[in-house]
Amino acid sequence: MTDRRDFLKLSALAVAATSGMPGFLARAAAQAGGTKTLVVIQLTGGNDGLNTLIPYSNGAYYAARPTIAIPKKDVLTLTGDLGMHPALKPLMPLWDGGTFAWMENVGYPNPNRSHFASMAIWHTADPAQAQADGWIGRIAQTIGDPFCASNIGASTPQALRAADFSLPSIDGVDSFQLRLPQGLNTPFSQLLESPRSGEAAYLVQATQQMMKNTARVQENVKKYRAGATYPDTKFAGQLRDTARLIAAGVGQRVLYVSLGSFDTHAGQRAEQDELLSDLAGGLAAFHSDLERQGLADDVIVMGFSEFGRRVAENDSAGTDHGQGSVMFALGRGVRGGIHGSSPDLEDLADGDIRYRQDFRGVYASALTRWLGLDARVILNGDFTGPAWVA
Amino acid sequence: MTLTPYTKTLSAEDAAHVLRRTAFGATDAQIRALVGRRAADVAREALAFDQSLAPASPFDPATGATPGAMIQLTRAAWLYELTYGPHPLREKLALMWSNHFVIGTDKVRNQSALAGYLKVLRQHAATPDFTRLALAVAQTPAMLRYLDNDQNRKGKPNENFSRELMELFTTGIGHYTEQDVREGARALSGWTFTGGRGNKNFLEPQVFTFTARQHDAGRKTYLGRSGNLSPEDIVRIAATHPQTAVFVARKLHRAFLADTPDERAVQGSAETWRRTDGDVNAVLTELLSSAEFYASRARIIRSPVEFVVGALRTMGQPKLEPKALLNLTQTAGRMGQLLLQPDNVKGWDGGREWINDSTLLLRLQVAAALTLGKAAPTLDTAPSDLALLGSDRAPAALKSLNARQRTYLALVSPEFQLA
Repeated sequence: MTDRRDFLKLSALAVAATSGMPGFLARAAAQAGGTKTLVVIQLTGGNDGLNTLIPYSNGAYYAARPTIAIPKKDVLTLTGDLGMHPALKPLMPLWDGGTFAWMENVGYPNPNRSHFASMAIWHTADPAQAQADGWIGRIAQTIGDPFCASNIGASTPQALRAADFSLPSIDGVDSFQLRLPQGLNTPFSQLLESPRSGEAAYLVQATQQMMKNTARVQENVKKYRAGATYPDTKFAGQLRDTARLIAAGVGQRVLYVSLGSFDTHAGQRAEQDELLSDLAGGLAAFHSDLERQGLADDVIVMGFSEFGRRVAENDSAGTDHGQGSVMFALGRGVRGGIHGSSPDLEDLADGDIRYRQDFRGVYASALTRWLGLDARVILNGDFTGPAWVA
Repeated sequence: MTLTPYTKTLSAEDAAHVLRRTAFGATDAQIRALVGRRAADVAREALAFDQSLAPASPFDPATGATPGAMIQLTRAAWLYELTYGPHPLREKLALMWSNHFVIGTDKVRNQSALAGYLKVLRQHAATPDFTRLALAVAQTPAMLRYLDNDQNRKGKPNENFSRELMELFTTGIGHYTEQDVREGARALSGWTFTGGRGNKNFLEPQVFTFTARQHDAGRKTYLGRSGNLSPEDIVRIAATHPQTAVFVARKLHRAFLADTPDERAVQGSAETWRRTDGDVNAVLTELLSSAEFYASRARIIRSPVEFVVGALRTMGQPKLEPKALLNLTQTAGRMGQLLLQPDNVKGWDGGREWINDSTLLLRLQVAAALTLGKAAPTLDTAPSDLALLGSDRAPAALKSLNARQRTYLALVSPEFQLA
């Protein structure tokens, strides 16, 4: 923890010395000292919830999907009515151990079938899309630490946009380091010093922040010793980097990883099967890694997608954009099981399921019960949801 | 209000500005050649491009041994054209349209489809009729495949293209209903392509075709118009919708004026768009000769491809090994802009979205490779401050460095990274 305190002192100093730093960065980090980490997984493109958590006892499900339904014999049984897609088999031990949760039938009012509008709603936690910053950006503002949340990947999602600054994106822990050619350190610093405005000032600020962030990660990341073998996929590699950052103890409270592309308009079975298999393999390895590192008590994972798909399959053996879907969570801090009731497949809204749980209620539990933050401030309202955080 | 004409003759800084925006950057000599010219003449000349390509490109996608190799060669051939081609503004516009009418090589893996798509973007780059561009793109096998309209059949609608046509290509969100999406899909049924299906046939030509028996010839209502609407009708109605003028004009402003466009200026261009029935050439001519354009320096963060191509054009188009260019296309991808493969159908958001810790690190590495690395092109004379930074007032930090070091640091400065 010494490292952590030194870093905060350091960044407070640096902030004081830099004019034009956004206010929230200067508010320093009295509240940043929590030890719990939330890992958010985004399934990009609209994952088909009905073929993920399958209502296998429901005839209406099979009637709506003659080609792409998961046959009952292939379903991994969870309850008398629900089971998982067979590609999720690596997650069965977690389910059996009571550390895997499904949130049924999650959505938001006046659903939007545009990928981008819907994604923005999940990212801003604002169905009116009046807010441009993201809910995780607002966590960073509340905590007052520019390094308390990071995206693992190449481009920063809107969820991590703060009022004045984007939070870090780390596309590979190993390459996350700055090595300037000999003799250029001083000229480079001088180059950044001259006063600028507009986008030039933004670029200077981003570069200075990057220099601090990379230095911090490289100092600490060697502490990690792998506790599991990860599958050879990009997603699993990103989860491995996530575990490395958590093990490094650099103080990140939220880490964000995306897996795409779930936009299965045609030939859905092949595409979604492969994606779900990638998802499950990566998450199972991540969880055993954390177990062996002794970090499993401190990390939970929460996953979402911007919408589910139409209940009925289309004629290209795929599905078009729908409304609500499932969310999932895992970790020792999670209360395993099914939270909420399954959609009524005979009472549809425009061919889609009618959502019953607002996703902001699911976020609220993570914020209050896991991260110890005031969810009302971050979500701009009082939302209750399932008690999925133990 | 329409845009205000820029009436002064071009200063050195004006000339550097217009070449940064329309040619990815230029050498000192190319910049000085425009000093004293009139903005309207410069704009007209830049837009008067033909379809000639860079001579002697080392990349021929048709020689690709696998679909993956073919796609890599297609990207590298485009980077070659962007860097060495005779018409940078045409290529800049093609790049912009590829980020508007998005397709992706995750699904489009046929050589003729990719070549045909690029050809359409170049031919119509500064089109006098936006509807013709929209129709031409909509009928490319690349688009038909990417948004699944080749699967859209009578009685078996696939809504993917119908939705994105309005949301992303024409009116923008909020100007159509879910019913319009469904009816549009019905009307677009039957548009498909022949040939080139399957992974092994990636070199076989794909040809647009209309299959009448798969077309839903019933009555539809789309964006307030009713009748037995054909696929052409749908594209035409969407492309000529009044909101399309605003939506696409805003894209032009983001490409040429500012990452965060001034909405009043956008409305000005939309007005011109409507008055000229979607004459993109006229809109661009007005935009590139406007006072608003010349007042908008340093308001666009260069994209990864613009960063790489800009560096090379500013350095006087040094010859690079084919392998180096292939690598640069991949590196631009790691910086967030893999040609012909935006992250999703909305395209790259651009602006500050290009910038994060990881992409900044890569920009530093690329700049080092182009100036200091073992395989770096020879730099007999360093580009001038005007060429690199857009003005003659270089920061003091750059003085007393040698030509390579100076060029390296200039390339990673905020001034170079902005256009």
